[in-house]
Amino acid sequence: MEVDRREILRYLGYGREKEEVPVAALIDSCVEELSAAVDPKHLSREYQLRILPDGTIDGSCFQVKSRSLSRNLKDCSQVILFGATLGIGADLLIQKYNKLQMSRAVVMQAAAAAMIEGYCDGVCSQMRQIYEGEGLYLRPRFSPGYGDFPLKCQSELLDALEAGKRMGIKLTDSYLMMPSKSVTAVIGVSKKPYRCEVKGCEACGRTDCIYRRDP
Amino acid sequence: MDILQRMKDHFIFFDGGMGSLLQEKGLKAGELPETWNLSHPQVLVEIHKSYLRAGANILTTNTFGANRLKYPREGSWDLGKLVEQGVKNAIQAREEFLREKGYSQDFTDSDADTDSYVALDLGPTGKLLKPLGDLDFEDAVELYKEVIRTGTEAGADLILIETMSDTMEIKAAVLAAKESCGLPVFATMAFDGKGKLLTGGSVESATALLEGLRVDALGLNCGLGPVQMRPIAEKLLAVASVPVIVNPNAGLPRSQDGKTVYDINADQFAEEMERIADMGVSMLGGCCGTTPEHIQKTVRRCRDKAVRPVVKKGRTVISSYSRAVVMGREPVIIGERINPTGKSKFKQALRDHNLEYILREGVTQEEHGAHVLDVNVGLPEIHEPSMMEEVVRELQSVSDLPLQIDTSSPQAMERALRCYNGKALVNSVNGKEEVMDAVFPLVAKYGGVVVGLCLDEDGIPETVKGRIRIAKRIYERALSYGIGPEDILIDGLCMTISSDQTGALTTLETLRRVRDELHGKTILGVSNISFGLPGREIINAAFFTMALQEGLSAAIINPNNEAMMRAYYSFRALAGLDENCSDYIRIYGSGDVAGLGVTRGCSRAGAQQGPGQAGRDWTGAGGQSGGALGTGLGDGIIRGLKEAAMSAARELLKTRDALDIINQEMIPALDAVGKGFEKGTVFLPQLLMSAEAAKGGFEVIKEHMAGTGQTQVSKGKVILATVKGDIHDIGKNIVKVLLENYGYEVIDLGKDVPPERVAEAAVKDHVKVVGLSALMTTTVPSMEETIRQLRREAPWVKVMVGGAVLTQEYADTIGADQYCRDAMASVNYAEKVM
Repeated sequence: MEVDRREILRYLGYGREKEEVPVAALIDSCVEELSAAVDPKHLSREYQLRILPDGTIDGSCFQVKSRSLSRNLKDCSQVILFGATLGIGADLLIQKYNKLQMSRAVVMQAAAAAMIEGYCDGVCSQMRQIYEGEGLYLRPRFSPGYGDFPLKCQSELLDALEAGKRMGIKLTDSYLMMPSKSVTAVIGVSKKPYRCEVKGCEACGRTDCIYRRDP
Repeated sequence: MDILQRMKDHFIFFDGGMGSLLQEKGLKAGELPETWNLSHPQVLVEIHKSYLRAGANILTTNTFGANRLKYPREGSWDLGKLVEQGVKNAIQAREEFLREKGYSQDFTDSDADTDSYVALDLGPTGKLLKPLGDLDFEDAVELYKEVIRTGTEAGADLILIETMSDTMEIKAAVLAAKESCGLPVFATMAFDGKGKLLTGGSVESATALLEGLRVDALGLNCGLGPVQMRPIAEKLLAVASVPVIVNPNAGLPRSQDGKTVYDINADQFAEEMERIADMGVSMLGGCCGTTPEHIQKTVRRCRDKAVRPVVKKGRTVISSYSRAVVMGREPVIIGERINPTGKSKFKQALRDHNLEYILREGVTQEEHGAHVLDVNVGLPEIHEPSMMEEVVRELQSVSDLPLQIDTSSPQAMERALRCYNGKALVNSVNGKEEVMDAVFPLVAKYGGVVVGLCLDEDGIPETVKGRIRIAKRIYERALSYGIGPEDILIDGLCMTISSDQTGALTTLETLRRVRDELHGKTILGVSNISFGLPGREIINAAFFTMALQEGLSAAIINPNNEAMMRAYYSFRALAGLDENCSDYIRIYGSGDVAGLGVTRGCSRAGAQQGPGQAGRDWTGAGGQSGGALGTGLGDGIIRGLKEAAMSAARELLKTRDALDIINQEMIPALDAVGKGFEKGTVFLPQLLMSAEAAKGGFEVIKEHMAGTGQTQVSKGKVILATVKGDIHDIGKNIVKVLLENYGYEVIDLGKDVPPERVAEAAVKDHVKVVGLSALMTTTVPSMEETIRQLRREAPWVKVMVGGAVLTQEYADTIGADQYCRDAMASVNYAEKVM
């Protein structure tokens, strides 16, 4: 599976620095082992969107108050619920090396994070093309936990997608998804094009995060 | 007629979908379907009746999601009543239907002239089990038991466990059923189009587990339509010895105008189901999207066909969560290294609770070609049952090889078999009544292939005849416990030829007779044969080849020993088991095969899985470049080259004092890397590779010191834990590696650790520093609670905290002594306060 090396290095904290030679070899071999172990899957479903008088976002299968999501969904008439996962294989590898070789666990973790993001980007860009063919524009993915979009919404999104049964995504009591390399998101659908293309990392309001992508 | 009786020679038809029918009747998105059992009982009764009219024999209760997690005690619905009413609705439907049938003139549908049964439906818990998830196995068992007790009392006729995708969760559900009711148990799983479960299980591995647990029927449901399910059903029919169930969805779904529609209609569905019936499946029904129409059309096409009797496959098979190993044509290698007998380092690892050492023994054997790992952790001074359980769980988290549970303690055996994800090899029983009576019930309950040693109260018979007699007795007694001969491996035992010249011949003849006369499978601990002789592996390898020729099915050997592996690969080539000698050529075709060292690249597992091999090679690659860059110990550590660091340490030990090496070579190198990390010139992966290289160096030095009677001084104990609710422990483990490098003894409490356990541990060893890690904002409160309890119970403790969401501000708010932004910061803090 294709994976953006610069993203892996970013997750590992390298910023713009170049990795050391042994680390480069380690990244290569992790990507190779991981590629054989993952089984990426995704689901999406479209729902009507309404904004209730008190400002609550009503996405048919979920209701939430969130200023950051409201901004993100401005001018939208529908929402797409999106879910994706690399499957449990990535977690099995991370678990294994967590017990045997931490350097490998850390790189595996970063590579898997880059891989799921890359996978989601690929799927979403295909969806974007399809919608644009119908004169509709997609907003960037917005996930529970971004800004003030509460993590607790995770369970409603997963239920609506039947993500447990169809992709094996389960939640822990603290709303952590397992497989850990999974994504849920709300994507707004609008007749108006979106001017400022902000997605993923940059869409989040937390600017002091050490993993934040350079502007 | 009893369902188990009926399914022997009748088709059994399941009902179809429930959710989509409820939605048609007004169930809203997000509404919990089981609540309709109480709020709309008549709707449920009608749906059940429509399936009976369609010819279904099995009514599945509307209890798929009914469990304590979804219906908590403090919630607005009473779980017990929902389950009870779910069963009663089905029973009422059956009664009304029978009345209808008896009274109605024009109701002549012979589709329905069958008995019908109410199946208590159990779906997944909705949570992932530990270690990857946060639901404890025994809690899962209890969740299911609660529902099963209520459902059984309400009058269910059987238990149907369905849509499962995690073998450990299926095991919890089946055990719950077996331990709380006497009803028949059926289990069906949701495979994907590639024939895999979401947790990695295959048709073969899941079948081994379920048949081991003695389910009455097993099969497939949900996920796929009948077209996609057919090839998987075919695989299942080839391996299953119990009746097979196929309950597909109405087809592959797609969304059209906000509604789910399927790619085939009811007629096409029924046509596909007929094909599946023709393959030999006699238990058919539907899942999501199927309606009474689908079932009726299926029933009409299939009901007059002859039912093919289920054939026992007689396969000797064990499994892990994802892999099945069959004993038969191909000899199986069982790695013997996880065993303290005669190994002082292993004993010490057990005493020190050094699981990493044990896990490495496992992974190394896997890399050298073992198919199964023997696990023996018996040592008088440790509590074997708990150690056995822990080691089994841990091994399964790093390796997918099936395990052989090797213990003479029935208690340790049961703990291991209960937590084991798969069908294990059980080592062992023998001809002694007492032993058979202790072990066979465990095998009958949890499943397993059991090793039967040819010895009894009178010892090991000297003659072949005597050993065969015991083997027969073992087969016989096993059968009385419901354990067939396919689940027995006879161990003919071998006595060293240094004391008995005919020892080998007796063993070989026993092997031959078990194969030819008893048609059984065999196992042998090969290396006993050479006890007391020099050059043991020469004899062992030759004897191993001879034993394979006499039909040895499984050999307990050291797969890290190249002589043994050579015997194995050459036997396979010579016996026509290695097509085109391709494995042999792959392994020995290039490179140096002289000498008896382990041949590079002989990793069977690695070569087959490609990436696994590459996964281990990076250190080698680094090592080569390291050679050019210099071989000093400090240099090796700075560059993160473990092999180079270890050999440099060995070299230095010839001329210098151990402590001197640590203080003058290793610590400065570690400090240099640590400083670089703090300055931002060295990054996390490199920091860890350096730490691992240093650890390798420390191991060499430690071994040397132990040999010379010196001991290393610990700088003190530090407790590390990932707090309750958090199951990501990567950050904590990074800190652990570094602290150990700096000479601290780390008490690692693991992840998802309750506050009181941290406090207890701090009190028990009067530990001075506790490090807590949390990844999620949602788990910071449990970090705060842990600190509160530490302050109360162990006021002397200094608490350092770290993790993705933490900040200095957060740390101050929850009352931590120190916020550590990274792993080096925690080392610096420990250095400061200890």
